[in-house]
Order: sequence, then structure tokens, then C-alpha cells
Amino acid sequence: MKDREIIVEDLVKSYPGKSKVTAVDGVNFKVDEGKIFGFLGPNGAGKSTTIKILTTLALPSSGRALVGGFDVVSQATDVRRVAGVALQEIGIDPLMKSMELLVLQGRLFGASKAVATARARELLELVQLTEAIDRRAGTYSGGMRRRLDLALALVQQPRILFLDEPTTGLDPASRRDVWREVRRLNRELGITIFLTTQYLEEADELADTVAIIVAGKIVAEGSPAKLKAAMGEESINLVFETPELAEKGRATLEPMGNRTQLDRDTVRLYLSKAAGSIPTVINRLQNEGLAPISLTLTQPTLDDVFLQVAGQRLVASEAVNSRKTRSKEREEVK
Amino acid sequence: MDTNMYVLPIEKPAVKKPLSLPVHVFLLTMRSLTSLLRTPEALLPPIAISIFFLVIYQSTLGKAAGSIPGIGGSYLGFILPLSIVSGSLSGSGIAAQNLVRDIERGYFDKLLLTPVRRAALLLAPIMAGAVILGIQAAIVVAVGLIMGLKPATGFLGMLAVIGLGVLLGIGFAGFTVSAALGSGSAAATQGASFLFFPLTFLAPTFVPLSLLSGWLEVAAKLNPITYVLEAMRALLNTGWDGNAIGTSILACLGLAVAMYALAVFALSVRTRRT
Repeated sequence: MKDREIIVEDLVKSYPGKSKVTAVDGVNFKVDEGKIFGFLGPNGAGKSTTIKILTTLALPSSGRALVGGFDVVSQATDVRRVAGVALQEIGIDPLMKSMELLVLQGRLFGASKAVATARARELLELVQLTEAIDRRAGTYSGGMRRRLDLALALVQQPRILFLDEPTTGLDPASRRDVWREVRRLNRELGITIFLTTQYLEEADELADTVAIIVAGKIVAEGSPAKLKAAMGEESINLVFETPELAEKGRATLEPMGNRTQLDRDTVRLYLSKAAGSIPTVINRLQNEGLAPISLTLTQPTLDDVFLQVAGQRLVASEAVNSRKTRSKEREEVK
Repeated sequence: MDTNMYVLPIEKPAVKKPLSLPVHVFLLTMRSLTSLLRTPEALLPPIAISIFFLVIYQSTLGKAAGSIPGIGGSYLGFILPLSIVSGSLSGSGIAAQNLVRDIERGYFDKLLLTPVRRAALLLAPIMAGAVILGIQAAIVVAVGLIMGLKPATGFLGMLAVIGLGVLLGIGFAGFTVSAALGSGSAAATQGASFLFFPLTFLAPTFVPLSLLSGWLEVAAKLNPITYVLEAMRALLNTGWDGNAIGTSILACLGLAVAMYALAVFALSVRTRRT
């Protein structure tokens, strides 16, 4: 057993009661040493529950999990020592200053005052908060608070870092800052990182391996490139004026491609040589008196992977915004 | 990807001796105090109310007190302990409010993820509250001196009065801290600190114990506040009374131990992993 691995076997978490809820339903995965593992899923899919079990805040109903070689149930104290945690809700006393919080955290982990202070300085530099050292955490921006929380998670020099939705609620610029930080921690310090996210581009950007979780079950797992390649097809996306028209359009085009998908007013036609098929698509639609508002051609994205395996689109309003930002950036690059 | 360029210097876990409980309590108490002193708006009302009642009681009843037997000195010396006791009550909520804020903000969870001694999580807010109560009681005594209080036991007696106020407050704080841990809600914690309020009046609040009768006398004899009031009054008005002081300390300790047990239970429920 390597000391930077995470191994999860048949993990189940159900909450008893009238409407028995199974938040995590037989999850298996392994995170290799020094890798970034992205746990992707919509709200309520079981991401936070999994992270709470792995960080010893909750007990599994059944199954087993080893973090850095320690069992999360029977060796909770050891797990806490080797794993740093930044939960989705940032746990910071807004009345305290960043330096005070970091020194206290260090001392609770057993460091002397001098060592804890030196470590705090180091970490504030690492997350670039040295300017704000004498300000109360309550005055920080969302991005700064995330970075302070990240620093707090690193106080005991963890081998493994758990980040629960590290960029939820952040503006695109702060999000990029956090991404850069996460990558740096991983590359420079070799810390294994387990992160949950509901943003596809976050998983795509950061993770070596992505597991998609829907309703407590992992429905797909692999590197982003592998997952996308497995789709093996391009798609022609047609937007119609109404969902009814889109449904008609789909019926018309269904025989052409490998398969079609209808998402409200949008029809996706999946086929291997999409560009060459565009004239035929337009012809067929015209014969039926249908005219799409727009037609686009796409390579498979993680979004498609998600739609494919989960049967639904991953909707996160902020993700939509930053996706726009990203496509804009791409254009600028061109 | 070459991820393992540098290897972290990591000590073998669980080998290092964890810090002792007093160190953890001290660190967390200082943290609570820092945080509390940065919200003076939460600290001032209990002091203001204590002083307000002291002035009101003295002005309303001060003159009539000549006709009440058993005061044994000045009415100010008789009524000032009430002001300190009600300050202990309202002030005991401060510790719990600080704790409940930690719970709501998620900082409590952050602390739980460290190897902190669990008992320190309870004792620290109680200790921080005790420090605040001590300052508060000292201010009330100072105001009493300005109003013309001449304590029968001098400076040491005044310290003893403050000490008893703090000791009583520690017991109440155990209760409000339990409420904070049990409910995790600021409103419920606020409510809990009012629960003790009637206790102030099931006691020889305005007249000596010898003038109470019937059910109120029985209730007063069961109420730890009674013994604290008696001891404080003796200190301020008549002189050192070892018996009264001993009884009041026992009453406070009894209350504190019972409430601490309750708090330990509430903590174990809150931190039980489910």
C-alpha cells in the first residue's frame, strides 16, 4: 500500500428513515499516487457525502476506504494527519486574521509556536495572501477566502488533499487562480488530490482521471481524453424554434446517424463524418419544411460524455458563464 | 506527468505525542477571546443591563430597605450581588454564542479535523466566557464602589465576590454550551440562556431568605443562586463567613459538574460520526 493512494471499495452510505436515501451506492475507485482525481456530478449526486466519509467526518454504511494506507473508520486520527481537507463551506472564523488561524491550526497539529509561525508564513506566501496578513478573514474576497482555506488544509503537510467543490461560487478569474494553485501543489509537492466538482471544464482542466457520479453510482471513469475518445463521434447540433419542431427534426434525421439526442429545442445527431453530411441534413429537413435556427459542429466534449452516460445535461449556471469565457479565450488565441 | 519531483518531508503519523489538554484549552480559549473581543457590541449589553438594574434597584428600594429586617448592612451591599448574578446569567450566553457561530460557519468542523482534544472544544468557550464574566463582575463592583459601597471584607472580599460570580457563570455556561452543541442554532442558544432567568427570582432576590415562605422558600433553598447571593451579601455587608462561602462554592461546583456532564454528552452527540 503506497502512502499517497486512495482506495475505495463498495462504499455505501444510506440514511435510514421513512424515505430511505442512499446517497452513495456501491462506489469503487482508486486514486494513484500523485494524481489528480476529479469526482464529477450534479448537486446531490453523492460527491460531498463521499468526501465526508473519506475525511472521517461521516461513517460509511458499508464498504471500505483507505486514505494514505489508513482505514477511514478505524484509523481516523491517522487519516486526519495525512490528509488535508478544504470543504465546500469554508470553515473560517471571519473575525480572525489569516496568520492567527494558520498558527492555531499548526499548533493544534502539535507544532511549536515558532514552527507553526514559520509554516504559516510559508503557506501565506504559497497562496499569495501575504498582503492580507493583518486583515480579518471576514474582509477577504471569495477567492482569497478559498486560498486561505487551502492554506489551512496544507498546515500539517498532507500527502493527500481533499477539495470539495473548490471553485463553486467563484468568478472565472478566481477560479483560474485556484486551478493554478491546485496544479502547482500537485506538480511541485507531489500531493495526491481528490476534488469534487460540478463543472465539466474544471474536471477537464485539472484531473488526470475523472469519475462521473450520478445518483450515488459511478457511471463512467477514465482520463478526460479517454472518455471523450470513447464517444468516437462528432455531432451536428441543430437548434429549432420550439421543442416540438426539434422533435420533428429528430424524427426526420434519426435514420442518418448512429444515434440522436433531443435536449429541449436542440437535436444532436451523432455520426462519424459530420461535416460531409451537412448538405444531406439540410436537404432532409427542407423536404419536411423544417428550418433550424442554428447549426453547429462539435467534437465530443466531457459535456457529451456526461450527457451520454447520465442521460441529462450537467446544468450549473456558473459553468455556463465560464464556458462562454473559455470559448472567448479560445477565439482570442486563434 | 512528472508529479513526484519533490517529496514532502512527512513525519511518521501518530508517533508524535499530542499536546496536553491544558495547552489545547489555552490555545482555543485565546482564540475565543480574540474573536469575542472583536465583537464588543455583543459584550456591552450584559454589562449595561447589570449596571442598569443595580441603579434601578438601589434607587427604588434603597430607602425602603430600612424597614426590611435582616439586610445586615447597606441595601447596596445587599442588592449588588443580584446584579452580578444576573450578569453571570446573561454573560454565560456569550461563550455559547461564540461556539454556535463556529458551528454555523463550519470552523467547528475544521477544528474537528485536527487532532484537538475533544474536551478542549468544550472547555475553551467556557473559559473564555469565565474571563469575560470576571471583567464584567469587576466593572459592576467598581460601579458599586462609586455609588458608595463599603465592603465589610475589603479588597479580598470584593475579589471573592467576583470569583463567586465567575464560578456560578461557569455552571450556566456549561448549560448554554450544551444548548449550542445540541441545537447548532443561534436562536435556540439564545433561548436557552433565558431559561435560567426565572431562577434569579426563585431566590432571596429582594429580601433576605428568612422573609420567604411557602413554596418560594422551598424553591429558593434548592436554588444554587440562593447560596451565592447569601455568601456575596455576607462578604459585602457583614464579614467573612466561612460557612456561607463554603456552601456557595459547593453549590456552584455541583451546578458546574452537572452542566459539564451535560455538555460532554451534547458534544459526543454532535461529534458522533453517522
